Amino acid sequence: MKVYITGMGTVSSLGNTVPEMFSSLLENKTAVRRMEGWENYKGLNSYVGATVPQYDIMRVPRTARRTMSPMSEMATLATMEAIRQADVSIGNGQSTPRVLMCLGSTTGSPENFETYFKKIIERGGPEGQMGTTFFKVMNHSVNANVAAALGFKGAALSPSSACSTSAQSMIMGWELIQSGMYDIVIAGGADELHYTSTSVFDIVMAASRGYNDRPTETPRPFDVKRDGLVVAEGASVIVMESEASAKARGIRRLAEFCGGAYICDGAHMSQSNKFNMLDVMKATLERAKINAEDIQYVNAHATGTVQGDAEEAQAISEIFGKNVPVSSLKGHFGHSLAACGTLEVISSVQMMNEQVLIPTRNLTEIDPACTGIFHLQEKKSFPTTKVMSNNFAFGGMNTSLIIGASGD
Amino acid sequence: MTNQDIIARVNAIMSEGFEIPADQLKPEATLFDDLGLDSLDAVDMLVSLEDNVGIRVDSEQLKTVRTMQDIYNLVGNLVAKSEATH
Repeated sequence: MKVYITGMGTVSSLGNTVPEMFSSLLENKTAVRRMEGWENYKGLNSYVGATVPQYDIMRVPRTARRTMSPMSEMATLATMEAIRQADVSIGNGQSTPRVLMCLGSTTGSPENFETYFKKIIERGGPEGQMGTTFFKVMNHSVNANVAAALGFKGAALSPSSACSTSAQSMIMGWELIQSGMYDIVIAGGADELHYTSTSVFDIVMAASRGYNDRPTETPRPFDVKRDGLVVAEGASVIVMESEASAKARGIRRLAEFCGGAYICDGAHMSQSNKFNMLDVMKATLERAKINAEDIQYVNAHATGTVQGDAEEAQAISEIFGKNVPVSSLKGHFGHSLAACGTLEVISSVQMMNEQVLIPTRNLTEIDPACTGIFHLQEKKSFPTTKVMSNNFAFGGMNTSLIIGASGD
Repeated sequence: MTNQDIIARVNAIMSEGFEIPADQLKPEATLFDDLGLDSLDAVDMLVSLEDNVGIRVDSEQLKTVRTMQDIYNLVGNLVAKSEATH
């Protein structure tokens, strides 16, 4: 059974709708900037980040907003955009047993965790805690808040695997639609920028430290002068739908979701390696029943870390050699963690449908450790019908997926 | 703190924290039916009152509150007790 993408929505560092975001990408913009005041956090060395433009959440009722941190607000707006495009009838309390909502985040709201525990420690107990705070820090806060905001009544799952969260959401969606359990899956992820998120990467020396005074020059995926990733925020959501459902509704199919795989390498919490990346890319080709020769573009995870980028370049090289254009979008968006997988799928769908490929921003001198692949260093008009997109996360959570032109 | 001060403080919390238009904040307005609040709001309202007015409200006392006037009275009594002990 074929699965299609029929709706897309985003609140991203480069725009709060899909058209705005993609327009910024085409202009090769970056959202990375120096974060004011971050130099005051003891032990933090990376002061760069990428926040989203101001958005309007006031159209969501107060009773839904009161339990939302920014990640749930962004996810709600992205979901509204996606379901509007897909023109699916969900919400307002009507039962939708054939629809799954599958949205996740890395953690609950970091900012609210901080204020919650700070007060606990100051007061010596729970005195003075707001009743609404906990609903911002649950592992499924994003999914639950979006469901409450829309009045969605149906199955909801909240995958959580850090930077591969939304990739897992989509691949699970593909699996579950294929299984016949659901006709429609609303899949994606969200995360908000907070200094504690950047700290996690900074502590393990994976965050960019050397460009605090030149923020637009980092991250630098595959570049010889790359020094780490830059954390971003945002939410990205797609509507996935069975072929039968899309045809019955007569809705335009934006792309086919051809398949994907997620494999935990069970090897190392923070260090990725090319062999495990290769495993998941090969498994993806196999599951999607697509030959490597049919892939015309690879959207790399490449976040700008010294080790991860080199390992991924080598893994891609093993399969595709120098034949297939490769780029990473982290130099534009920063790394939006749980949202990035879906954000990169949405970007890839737009690239495929507009027959253009976006290059890797800030890649000026290819690192010798990242050679062996066809690096895109400038925008290219290029027709593609099959795209592979990779995402790798802490915990050895490796994912890869393939999307294809829908023919519509 | 005068009664007017207390009413102004409570009304500010209701407007800013719970987005209730000022013209709906009448003494006889019931919190749940007229103003659309619920039990989750009641907990946050209690915390906001404590933080903004500097009083400690027993959650059992909150259960007796039905209207805006009930809040004014509760806060007024707690403020009076607090001022009497200082």
